[in-house]
Amino acid sequence: MALKRELYQALVDVVGPENISEAPVILGSYAQRGRPKFEAVTLPKTTEEVQAIVRLCNRFGVQFKASSSGWGAYGDAGAPGVVKLDLRRMNRILEINDKNMYTVVEPYVIYAQLQAELMKRGLNCNITGAGSNCSALPLAAHQGIGHLSVSGSYGERNQLALEWVTPDGEIVRAGSLGAIGQWWCGDGPGPSLRGIIRGNVMPMGGLGVFTKAAQKIYHWPGPATFPIEGVSPHYRPNQIPPGFMIRYISFPSAENLSQAAQKVGESELGFILMGFNPGMISANIATNNNEDLAYLKQFTDSVQGPGFLIIMAGNSPRDTEYKKNALQQIINDYNGQPLEAVENPENAGGFMWRFIRVTSSIREVARASGIFAGEVGGTDVFPLMHQYIIRSSPVKQRYIDEGKLLADGTDPFVQSVEHGHAGHAELLIRFNKQDPESMIVAGEIAQFANKTAIEGHFGVPGHAWGDAVHDQYGPHTLNYHKWLRKIKKTFDPNAASESTNYITADD
Amino acid sequence: MIAEDKLAEIVGAGNISREQTTLEEYSGDMSFVNAVKPGCIVKPATMADIEAIVKLANETLTPLVPVSSGPPHFRGDTVPSIGGAVIVDLSGMNKVLKVDRTNRVAMSEPGVTFDELITAVAKEGLRLNMPLLPRRSKSVTGSLLEREPVVMPKYHWDIGDPLACVEVVFGTGDMFRTGAAAGPGTLEEQWAAGGAQKEAAGPSSFSLYRVIQGAQGTMGIVTWASVRCELIPELEEPFLVGSSKLDRILEMVHWLIRLRLVNECFILNNTNLAAIMAKKWPGDYQKLKGNLPPWILFFNIAGYEYLAEERVSGQIADMTEIAQRVGLEPVQAIGEIPASEVLKATQRPSGEPYWKLRHKGACHDVFFLTIYENLPGLLDAMYDEANAIGYPISEMGIYLQPIVQGTNCHVEFNLFYDPENREESARVKELSERVVTSLMAKGAFFSRPYGTSTGTIINRDAATVTALKKVKSVLDPNCIMNPGKLCF
Amino acid sequence: MALEDYRTDMEMCCRCSICKFVPLEKLTEMRHSYTCPSIARYNFHTYSGGGRMGMGVAMLENELEYDEKLLEVVYNCQVCGACDISCKYAMDMEVVEPINEIRIKCVEDGHTLPALDSVISSLRKQGTMIPGAKANRGEWAAGLDVKDITKQKAKVVYHAGCRVCYDEDIWKIATEAVQLLKVAGIDIGIAGENESCCGGRAYQMGYKMDFLNQAKKNMEMIKKSGAEILVTGCAECYHAFKVLYDKFGLKNDLEVLHVTEYLARLIKEGKLKPTKKVDINVTYHDPCHLGRLGEPYIHWEGKPVAGHIRIFDPPKEFRRGTYGVYEPPRDVLKSIPGVKLIEMDRIKEYAWCCGAGGGVKETNPEFAGWTARERLDEAESTGVEALVTACPGCEQNFKGAINGYGSSLEVCDIVELLAKAILKGGQ
Repeated sequence: MALKRELYQALVDVVGPENISEAPVILGSYAQRGRPKFEAVTLPKTTEEVQAIVRLCNRFGVQFKASSSGWGAYGDAGAPGVVKLDLRRMNRILEINDKNMYTVVEPYVIYAQLQAELMKRGLNCNITGAGSNCSALPLAAHQGIGHLSVSGSYGERNQLALEWVTPDGEIVRAGSLGAIGQWWCGDGPGPSLRGIIRGNVMPMGGLGVFTKAAQKIYHWPGPATFPIEGVSPHYRPNQIPPGFMIRYISFPSAENLSQAAQKVGESELGFILMGFNPGMISANIATNNNEDLAYLKQFTDSVQGPGFLIIMAGNSPRDTEYKKNALQQIINDYNGQPLEAVENPENAGGFMWRFIRVTSSIREVARASGIFAGEVGGTDVFPLMHQYIIRSSPVKQRYIDEGKLLADGTDPFVQSVEHGHAGHAELLIRFNKQDPESMIVAGEIAQFANKTAIEGHFGVPGHAWGDAVHDQYGPHTLNYHKWLRKIKKTFDPNAASESTNYITADD
Repeated sequence: MIAEDKLAEIVGAGNISREQTTLEEYSGDMSFVNAVKPGCIVKPATMADIEAIVKLANETLTPLVPVSSGPPHFRGDTVPSIGGAVIVDLSGMNKVLKVDRTNRVAMSEPGVTFDELITAVAKEGLRLNMPLLPRRSKSVTGSLLEREPVVMPKYHWDIGDPLACVEVVFGTGDMFRTGAAAGPGTLEEQWAAGGAQKEAAGPSSFSLYRVIQGAQGTMGIVTWASVRCELIPELEEPFLVGSSKLDRILEMVHWLIRLRLVNECFILNNTNLAAIMAKKWPGDYQKLKGNLPPWILFFNIAGYEYLAEERVSGQIADMTEIAQRVGLEPVQAIGEIPASEVLKATQRPSGEPYWKLRHKGACHDVFFLTIYENLPGLLDAMYDEANAIGYPISEMGIYLQPIVQGTNCHVEFNLFYDPENREESARVKELSERVVTSLMAKGAFFSRPYGTSTGTIINRDAATVTALKKVKSVLDPNCIMNPGKLCF
Repeated sequence: MALEDYRTDMEMCCRCSICKFVPLEKLTEMRHSYTCPSIARYNFHTYSGGGRMGMGVAMLENELEYDEKLLEVVYNCQVCGACDISCKYAMDMEVVEPINEIRIKCVEDGHTLPALDSVISSLRKQGTMIPGAKANRGEWAAGLDVKDITKQKAKVVYHAGCRVCYDEDIWKIATEAVQLLKVAGIDIGIAGENESCCGGRAYQMGYKMDFLNQAKKNMEMIKKSGAEILVTGCAECYHAFKVLYDKFGLKNDLEVLHVTEYLARLIKEGKLKPTKKVDINVTYHDPCHLGRLGEPYIHWEGKPVAGHIRIFDPPKEFRRGTYGVYEPPRDVLKSIPGVKLIEMDRIKEYAWCCGAGGGVKETNPEFAGWTARERLDEAESTGVEALVTACPGCEQNFKGAINGYGSSLEVCDIVELLAKAILKGGQ
């Protein structure tokens, strides 16, 4: 179903002929296999071009969907008839403010680029856990929780002012941006529109286009560039910068881990604190799948139970010493046991940099089989999120025993947010996507996760999106879905913003 | 107007008042908004009461104005803008519902004041990140909903902090709970599962608490709020730094917060610190002020359960290095004011009378957010306007509060005046209105607009107003919630 | 192998976009962070390594017709392998191999571009990839006292390559290389007029049969000459002889060296002594076919192991650019007194392509020039006086891009600098 010629020509007029295509070869690459193709792909350069495209779509009754780096399947359309906005040409860092610690980016700056520029200035940012190959716009990620979240919070809470092309083509500049043209506050005057545009998850293309945003940034006590040597894939720093330390500690029980993580939070020790399981650690260090399996066995045999990885970064030698000593006391109190393979100097530096730069999430989720799924918790208090995901562990084990999933362990992956004030947890599965039984398992685990969340009262998880799932959770959660629908309907009266992965206005 | 008998069925006749003196009390406040008398005052006891009231108000299109704190009020947001409004006075809903040490959160009804909640959470070794010396009668929920700045920027990750979740009755009459509190499950079921109604965002892809905050009661009526708590330190070492060089103080503040060295951290000018710390008026105040430098930075270094002393001594050494680099000297007392006394003062609400009223009997606050680089221009703008209008700068209180971990700075000019003196009142009113435009031009963001300047502030950005009105149309389609406030 | 054999590899692509950027662990600033010239220039995802993976599967499924746009996408790619390197940091899948196979499929299905046809026609007729070449292939060696391997036996054969032979401006890359090797006492010969194209670029353009024909012809000649070592100063030729000929079982025991490898070895052995000072600040451009694509071919035959993780029996070792020729050129530069090497941001396995490869110079000179200018910008940002490389193709493309660009950068080959430091009159 091609676009009306009048619409197509108008889009050409907006972005220029080089920046739009409806050629089959172009359209084909923008949809995951088997998913509906877009009718045209546009490459806008400015907010005004984005607005013009959105307004044209509204006028012609056609839907649109924007994406930046476009990894997630939620960048796809749910049905034919949608125009894609690929924001690749909007790729500038607009401002870095050292004194008030914020930065402003366009959607196609990736986190690796932003972090590299920040580090030169003694600054850092939280990078979404999916990787530094993802957009640095805090509004682009599904959730935006990252490795640094224990000390660097996450997308929803790092968000400052933003520029938003609404589904019906208005430009809203939230907070101080609209009032005085400055980027450092996203709230007001009066109520904060941040409350409409996202929760602990994003509307994922279903509520217009975010064209620029400011986010909080944090202190970086390390060098301007990390001293990386080697040739791909064997990168490692030639030294661990002073003040940095990495440890992996396993505990005799989930309860001990949870309490130790809480104490680490209350003492404000962590720079990075991630409850990685052996499967993720092994995938992280391995440079190929065979190595991955070998490390998995080695690490699984070496740990006494679930564990976490902690990187500490002292702001001074005194700070470093205090953190080191306090951590050791907590480890002793909760019967923790270090994993030598992570801490030994051969490996420690490489681990450290991969976690700081967040380069190896791809290894952890995609190298095995090109696909991953599972259960993605929301954000809530750490013990609750931990408990939620642990419930799915026996289910995962059963499917592993039946040969339907990769046997990579069943410990959840948990994250501390804001020094333990909140937490996030996931249980990921990897499987052969050609195996229809495994695909069914992925669906069954999602269903089990939903059932657990509803019946066990664990909140609305991060993997809840789309009408059907919202309709499933809503009646148990004060009909939030009805409010969400009203928001959608009010801000998107023509249903122009494609919202398969958000919610539609249809009751 | 809702019929009284219908209201009585909900709250009981004894909880409705049409007494003239009572109505007068709610007709105006210490701001310069026009006095408008309400139709009556109701005091609900439960959320169900409020649901019923709101539903009735929708049927009769009766304006409702929620009030949580006791008097005196200062902002004009609790004064009706329209005649015939019903004041929904929540001060009787004053239970502390829960204190959760593990998850560092507490839950309380709107009538709970800071003193009450501080005492309750302290039993579990917790404390609040609170505003600077709120008045005794200030509701914690009210303060949280107003996005009042708090004194510990380290623990202020987001501008909405420390508010977590709320239970609210929207203008539609529907009850909702925001964030994790939405469910699934009742509160009891959530508690049984280990939930704590602490995650503010959500559920799912919106965070309605953010449109309730800052709304001045125009979206709904909050019936409880949960608040993120911090730990009571095992060890605290407070310091003061005095200087005439604000730029150096700001440089030091930037690093103290950036390196997460300090808990409480704020800057006062001599007028304000003297006003807060003076015990006997007016002698103490003048004497203290006379011995203070123009600007005073206060901060506190703290240690917790693990190796508190090692931590504190290390942080003091690191702090001292920063001070030396910047050319400032942290001390344990300035003039006759020990830092320990300032710490004690800031960990509780103000004594009576409220510190802002002690000097002259009234105070009008001009406050906004900015960033450090804008401050010199903003101070000059205020001084110029004050001079032009004849308000003595030496009498002006100034409070600078870094918030959101140093990303923003709350700036507050406290304009003390004698409310019995018409000239002084008129001068302060005119100054507070005139200065807004000059300040915005220099980088002031009035994120919390109140009173007579609201239009000047909020109408600068038509797109935001349109968007806010859309939100309003969802949550309060009949515009019964505090009409006339903000852009509604 | 055919495109179908890479189906699983292509289907592994999860669209993470790391193929568009330098390896993220190495990214040190905003600029110079892109690795793929194709998507950097044309922006649609399709032009990236990941986009081409999806395109390949769609072609296997007959979902795409051979229209103008498809061919434009296919051929606007230097096949430089940068996407392959970045991807293989994290993934176990082939990227540049299926990209090349897509071209082979296009050619086999009878779809290509007129400019490429013209080049291949020249190859078939005259054994050169330079259509309309007026000069004789062996003219560069006129006056050079060197064996003719078609008439005499030699231990080492020097292969000049099409680009050098037909461009008088860069003849000295070859003449000075031969002179240096002779100074080191190497028993060296050339094929001169009888030299024929290595066929490497034909392969990258998708003309597999033409490549194989060239390869067989060349190996026959070399075998007859008795040469044990083939040395070349062209990175594309190096890649052809070392990697492609080996891939198709044609290389046998021939040792293939790039001239910089050989020179570095000779300097280390003391057989060449750079003594004359050459005062110059330089940066070094790693040619794609010497660097990341120049690592030895790994012969592997096996099957995937059924299961939920992609492993093979026997285990498959992927070529990830780890063992490309990076240090020898640098060693040569560092051995020259007075030369100061300042590295660019994108080096070694993630060097930015010069722009000439994969037939792009022939089919889209504008894109080739654009790519070169990006690299020249990067070189200039180091503040050096000269951009040094080790491939005539790179040198030609840079020099062509510099004209009219207003840059004062000198572009030269490593051999030229070393010659200045060793040969009489070389300064």
